[in-house]
Amino acid sequence: MSADSWVIIPAHNEAQNIGKVLDKVKKYTSKIVVVDDGSSDSTMDVALSRKVHVLRHIINLGKGATLKTGCDFALSKGAKSIIVLDADGQHDPKEIPSFQKKLSRADIVLGYRKMNDNMPWIFRFGNSFINWTTKLLFGINVKDTQCGFRAFTSLAYKRIRWNSTDYSMESEMIARIGKSKLKYLESPIETIYADTYKGTTVLDGIKIVFNMLIWRLRE
Amino acid sequence: MIIGIQIFGILFGLFMLYLTYLYQKKRQLTTREWGFWSVLWIFFIILSLIPSSLDFLVKDILQMGRTLDFLIVIGFMFLIGISFYNYSIVRRTEKRVEEIVRKLAIRNGR
Repeated sequence: MSADSWVIIPAHNEAQNIGKVLDKVKKYTSKIVVVDDGSSDSTMDVALSRKVHVLRHIINLGKGATLKTGCDFALSKGAKSIIVLDADGQHDPKEIPSFQKKLSRADIVLGYRKMNDNMPWIFRFGNSFINWTTKLLFGINVKDTQCGFRAFTSLAYKRIRWNSTDYSMESEMIARIGKSKLKYLESPIETIYADTYKGTTVLDGIKIVFNMLIWRLRE
Repeated sequence: MIIGIQIFGILFGLFMLYLTYLYQKKRQLTTREWGFWSVLWIFFIILSLIPSSLDFLVKDILQMGRTLDFLIVIGFMFLIGISFYNYSIVRRTEKRVEEIVRKLAIRNGR
């Protein structure tokens, strides 16, 4: 993996999973930033025990703000490219080299989850609807607009730097890609859904679609 | 003759006037804010006491049937205005909190 590539992992109450995720990521890079988003458990201590950079939000701000903190920190340390993945073990770090390889041919690499039976039906329906809305509003045909496993160059980050503090940031990023005419590639990933999934809810989905309409009107 | 709803309005106005005074005493309101709210509550008490004082405005100028209709319309306008003001304050505060928390995280990062 390139020496100037950093991996950013936003985490909120992930003490159970963050250690395993970090052990796997460390096989590919040592430049890792965990951003603890106001966790009430020992997420920060577990991350610190793995000798990685750890930043902490003193209160919970949401995924969008957390990722932005991590990306800004990495850029201040001279990162040329950034890979982001979730802390709950949903994304397998073994895909990192594949993302890195594709990033040499594009500004951004977007992971996409295979729509199989591993994915609960409500997510399949919600994702399809948001993907369709994204295509309609921004003219971008992306297989999975909500997948958090992504990679981008530092130059691309400066153009897609989002304002959303919550899960809407995934969609805002896509909208900004369309606006900035950045070159993107997609990369398939395996998705592991744990029993205690804490990600996007139906309400988040409604909010995301509403926000997309606002962004489209603002253009 | 003063009817029940008028008594209720007067008591409410007096209570709010007292509350405004307490807030000013605790220095949670500036003198200017205290003055503004006090004038508003005194106006409210006068209106409750003499509802016919608005007849000229309501019936002759605005051509509305009842003073109550006028007060309801004004009340809704006031509530919508206050909601918008609160929304903008909350958004601005959220943004400031986000910036502070993110800056602290980067500065104290390990």
